[in-house]
Amino acid sequence: MNLKKVLSLDTVWVDLKADTKQGIMEEMVDRLTAAGKISDREAVLQAVVEREEKMSTGMQNGVAIPHGKTDAVKSLVAAVALNKAGVDFDSMDGEPCTIFIMTISPLKRRGPHMQFLAEVSRLIGQASEREKLLACQTHNEIHELLTGK
Amino acid sequence: MHEDAATNLVHQAGEAAAHAAEASGHSITHMMMHLILQLAVIIIVAKIGGYLFQRFLKMPSVLGELASGMVIGPYAFGGMIDLPGIGVLFAENAGFAASAELYGIATLASIILLFLAGLETDLAAFLRYSVVGSFVGLGGLVFAFVLGDGLAVIWPGNGIDSFMDPPALFLGVISVATSVGITARILAEKRKMASPEGVTILAGAVFDDVFGIVTLAIVMGMAKVSMGGGEVNWGEIGMIAAKAIGFFVVVTSLGLIFARKITSAIKKFKSTEIIVAICFGLALLLAGLAEMAGLAMIIGAYIMGLALSRTDLAHEIEHHLEGVYNILVPIFFCVMGMMVDFSVMKPVLIFGSAYSLLAIFSKVVGCGLPAFLMKFNLRGSLRIGLGMLPRGEVALIIAGIGLASGIIDQGIFGVSIMMTVITTMLAPPLLVKSFEGGSGLRKEQDDGSEDIETIILEFPSRDITEFLLHRFVRALQDEEFFVHHLHTEQPTHRVLKDDIAFTLIQDGNKLQVNVPQANQHVARMILLEELLSLSDLLESTKQMKGLDEMGSDLMSGMFA
Repeated sequence: MNLKKVLSLDTVWVDLKADTKQGIMEEMVDRLTAAGKISDREAVLQAVVEREEKMSTGMQNGVAIPHGKTDAVKSLVAAVALNKAGVDFDSMDGEPCTIFIMTISPLKRRGPHMQFLAEVSRLIGQASEREKLLACQTHNEIHELLTGK
Repeated sequence: MHEDAATNLVHQAGEAAAHAAEASGHSITHMMMHLILQLAVIIIVAKIGGYLFQRFLKMPSVLGELASGMVIGPYAFGGMIDLPGIGVLFAENAGFAASAELYGIATLASIILLFLAGLETDLAAFLRYSVVGSFVGLGGLVFAFVLGDGLAVIWPGNGIDSFMDPPALFLGVISVATSVGITARILAEKRKMASPEGVTILAGAVFDDVFGIVTLAIVMGMAKVSMGGGEVNWGEIGMIAAKAIGFFVVVTSLGLIFARKITSAIKKFKSTEIIVAICFGLALLLAGLAEMAGLAMIIGAYIMGLALSRTDLAHEIEHHLEGVYNILVPIFFCVMGMMVDFSVMKPVLIFGSAYSLLAIFSKVVGCGLPAFLMKFNLRGSLRIGLGMLPRGEVALIIAGIGLASGIIDQGIFGVSIMMTVITTMLAPPLLVKSFEGGSGLRKEQDDGSEDIETIILEFPSRDITEFLLHRFVRALQDEEFFVHHLHTEQPTHRVLKDDIAFTLIQDGNKLQVNVPQANQHVARMILLEELLSLSDLLESTKQMKGLDEMGSDLMSGMFA
């Protein structure tokens, strides 16, 4: 699928500052709010946190995919961000997470929401690809790396 | 020879029956009583025959129904049963094995069959899914048509000397229509449905269906012109083809465009039964119009099904017509079997064998070659060719139309049945055998991404598995996947979108997902989300306070 349709320059970040799980989720939602992608910050954050409470989205090898469903968004909102220092995200392998993929999708509306998440996960399935992503210095570089293909 | 046979036999049969009724002083009530008794025998025998074939021979039930017809037909036991006060149970009527009234019911059944086939067609997949599939479908069609038609022309002593002779055209078009049901069942059993071969076969079959109907439309148009005594020249053929394709494209497009409008208008009736009945009425209407336009009724029925296939009513209609289908369609196949006159088969047995052999060869090569040229190796191409081998329902219907309209004689009709039976019986064992061994992809294509991964989830009970399967299907549809329910023994769903394809199979209390490596992320993630949503559900049942209380409310007062 075409990631360009969902990811834009103002939704990919190389410099997350937060150093806790809750902090990461809040920071990403804040940045999405600042980028004008979402209007109801609280509702979105609540959806993401609720999903996280059911089961951590910290996967393996430093990847986390916090996501949620809420009608506070009208269509899929997504972001990809890095915190190169690593943050404890209750991941499956216990390792700190460095790559964060967030999606917020509307509850009722149909669309390739999980498929987007799956596609990004597939792209960074290989260690070499993750290294390339982590080596990105600017928002531009991430954007190009993910949507260039 | 067709000119001689050109008179409409059904019409004749109908008149003959009416005369017979008059002559013998039998009232219409008497005729109906005869018909009802015939139907009683047909339904019971066909259903049992279908069951026996399926249960003990592992063959599709349609073959059993066909065989039952052969046994009880006027050329076998049916002609011997003489009921007092009624006469021969199944008598030949002016050279036609069924009375006009019985044939009428069989015709109605064939319309239902094609209407449902249209409804189940995955048009979205047809329009955007598989390039290889389209070439496989088209290759099989061209090879089967040309070889079937050509054989009739070169065969000595049958009076057919031109490629454009209506009987030759019919032999061509009868050998075209693949019946993929049995292949789908085997692919599901062998867990090969999500394999590159499986995906290509199933996509190819959709193309085969649609192109086959268009080809039939063209052939019907040509046959009608030459039956009218007119010489068919190339200019005219072009016109007929344009008309047939035009009818198909225009009516289907109009149907697709207005389907939602029409269905939302029909939905004002609120009652599902009324809605379904009206949709079926529309299918009959379009069937009649197609016949009036010089095509065949089944073409109209198929188009109506196709048009409605993308509306939310498709499932409802399928569901409601299932009962009618289960009773009427076996009558059709049984009547087709009854029409096989063994005494005229002897002289055409060799021709029939050659025709059947070519029917096998044409699909294996016609479908295998494009597959080989595109991304499969010999093994994979053979699998695809064999998967497209079985002919079935549609071939029988077309043969029936040919016989009823006098275009083909009973010999050719028998040959068509023979070919259908042989290809359908041969396909399963050959297909199973061909799937032994390694990958069917060429080395340079085989990057391991097509490796199928099997994810198995086991739940404490069948109910929970069913429930989750249902939810999973809905989640996939919400993600804009096309989910197709296949009518196989184990509940199987085929999931498609762009280049993603996988299958869901419910096996008792297990849910099995067969998914290519490259697509496993999306399958796993959607599965996980649905599993997690269960916890919400559990939470909400806890809040449903007092299940016990509700229960005792329900029970109290029962024994007052």
